[in-house]
Amino acid sequence: MDEIKKKPGYAALIVLAVLAAATVVICTGIGPTGIPFFGLSGNNTTSLILFDIRLPRVIAAMLVGAGLAAAGVVMQALFRNSMADPYLLGTSSGGALGASLAIVFLGGMFRSILAFVGCLAASFIVYGIAQKGGRVKVEQLLLTGIAVSMFFSAILSALMYAAGQDLHQILFWLMGGFWNISWDDVKLGIIILPASLALLLFSRELNIFSMGEDDAIHLGVNVERLKIILLAASSLITGIAVAIAGCIGFVGLITPHIMRLVVGPDHRFLIPASMLAGGILLALSDTVARTVGNEVPVGVVTAFLGAPFFIWLLKRRFST
Amino acid sequence: MIELSGVDVHYGAKKVLDAISFEAKNGVFVGIIGPNGSGKTTLLKAISRVITPTGGIVRLDGQLLSAISSRELAQSIAVVAQDTGPGFDFTVSDVVMMGRYPHLSRFGKEHEEDYAICQNAMALTGITHLSDRSIHEISSGELQRVIIARALAQQPRHLLLDEATSHLDISHQVEILLTIKKLSEEIAVIGVFHDLNLASYFCDEIIVIKAGKIAATGSPVEVMTPAMLRSIFDLDAAVSIHPITGKPFVVPLPGSQVIPGNNLKVHVISGGGTGVEIIRALPRMGCRVTAGVLAMNDTDYAAAMKLGITCITEPPFSPITESSRVGLTAQIAAADVVVLTATPVGKGNLDNIRILAEATKTPVLFLSDDGRATLPDYTEGKATAFLNQMMTSQRLAVLPLNQLLDRCKSKEEKQP
Repeated sequence: MDEIKKKPGYAALIVLAVLAAATVVICTGIGPTGIPFFGLSGNNTTSLILFDIRLPRVIAAMLVGAGLAAAGVVMQALFRNSMADPYLLGTSSGGALGASLAIVFLGGMFRSILAFVGCLAASFIVYGIAQKGGRVKVEQLLLTGIAVSMFFSAILSALMYAAGQDLHQILFWLMGGFWNISWDDVKLGIIILPASLALLLFSRELNIFSMGEDDAIHLGVNVERLKIILLAASSLITGIAVAIAGCIGFVGLITPHIMRLVVGPDHRFLIPASMLAGGILLALSDTVARTVGNEVPVGVVTAFLGAPFFIWLLKRRFST
Repeated sequence: MIELSGVDVHYGAKKVLDAISFEAKNGVFVGIIGPNGSGKTTLLKAISRVITPTGGIVRLDGQLLSAISSRELAQSIAVVAQDTGPGFDFTVSDVVMMGRYPHLSRFGKEHEEDYAICQNAMALTGITHLSDRSIHEISSGELQRVIIARALAQQPRHLLLDEATSHLDISHQVEILLTIKKLSEEIAVIGVFHDLNLASYFCDEIIVIKAGKIAATGSPVEVMTPAMLRSIFDLDAAVSIHPITGKPFVVPLPGSQVIPGNNLKVHVISGGGTGVEIIRALPRMGCRVTAGVLAMNDTDYAAAMKLGITCITEPPFSPITESSRVGLTAQIAAADVVVLTATPVGKGNLDNIRILAEATKTPVLFLSDDGRATLPDYTEGKATAFLNQMMTSQRLAVLPLNQLLDRCKSKEEKQP
């Protein structure tokens, strides 16, 4: 009975994995410099474009998309709120503030590092304020996250107001993008994989937690430990994603919704499926961003595609 | 076995539970009753470790609750909470399988045995036909049965139920409680009930909680009394031993209008059902009511017993004995007013009227809807003679029910 029931989940994972591999190949092949799939010459320029510019960019987009989607799944289960996204703990505003500080005061040096530090600092501050005696209520966390985000945004606005000619750079960073990706970024992004797999290990707990915190306690989940582990892992993932590509919206919010429709709510399938789908979505979006027009920030593309889709989802949900 | 000793719980500065101590042994179904906000749910949360008591000790099978790991706790104790959030749209069988979580290892798969246990739990709660449905598509009563099945799948040694059958229709309610009753032969079950009759039918022991303290504890017969219902629930109710179940059966009597400070002592002489209404109405106005002499097969006697009213009694079809005559004389002397109804009088109960006629100091109110002071007399006019004697001495007033009750509202107006 069990195996038959789970076949759609396994089938979806296999299809998604094939699609992900295809996406890497196709997205690497597409670009202003036409490169034929077959008969690749030993030409140095072509090889440079393909392997040192496009391939790391596509892989980085896949990793960031996968990480944001995994973190999104976890946040939505943890907060039992379908509007939750990876940036809920103030990570986006913390990262943006860190990056902006680097741009304004350090001329852009250590931008990624400061963004990463900003993300994690925001998470810790939010958790620190919301917890009481080592216990934390998710409602409290949600509201604290909003409050801290607003505070960081205020500082960010002040910084932007004073930034002068750096304003353009900050704005560009805020919208998120992959235009300056190297293999070093990919190496950093690889950390997303083990961190996401750690989330996968807690799939059963996430399933149970979505029924409510008291129910999770009744069923034997160590909820306080679970919350800390999951928040730490998803903050780490989000921090890395933000450090690589800035604050890219909608991928972490929408991918889990789509995948829940495809594989159902079981996190054992939902997490890997969302990772694959998130990677595909972001890699495709980035390809659109760099081919349509001249380097549109990828955040613009994801929002442009994601927002209408999300409205459609909401409509669909309220009509049933 | 669940043991609590001196358990306190505070919400902020407010003390919600105050020195709660009791034991729930395996093989015993313990029911907890009490008004809203008395701390019943909090008590279950303290036992299931959802909240930590601020004082006192909870033990499960002799082990300190705080020393048990999360997983071991869920193997030992299962909870059916009042309301469960629906979460994501898992299927019914997925949710029941969550009950096996404390028995599975992190990397382990569900075994055949786990599926068999879940199948059995679903069969016991009658939800097998729903197993592939989403929990978003089923009714709240069906969801409650899913959660009960999930608790059964945990195979716990202790089961806590917080109004676990509140959303169920009457037949499922009984069916599931019977299932749990059967389980309670081997495990310890503690259930919070709002339905007092379900509690008294299914529970072996009942704990009454008011304002965070244990107000009473004992078997249903010991605990379910009109006095308890009035003091704990502020409810006027009749309690009788149900002829078929043999358990206490509570019927609330609506329209209660207790008049504060009304301590009027009323003795009722009635019989054959003529006094049922007045016996029911007087205590609700705050009067302290006694009745008799009544035969134990009399309808009025049954009414007085259900309401917990003190009654002078004689065995069925027996004349009034000397001790009852003395008792009646004393009761009439102690009463502020005596209510007499148009009860049939024969040789057996003629003494009731005779003693009343002799007690010349106590005013008498005669209940009669047509304004005439007559009663079915089977004593060749003797009873009517006593009645007329009281009429002529101006100590008897003939009143319909509503006016008679008006007279009993306060002490000042006791003179007819």
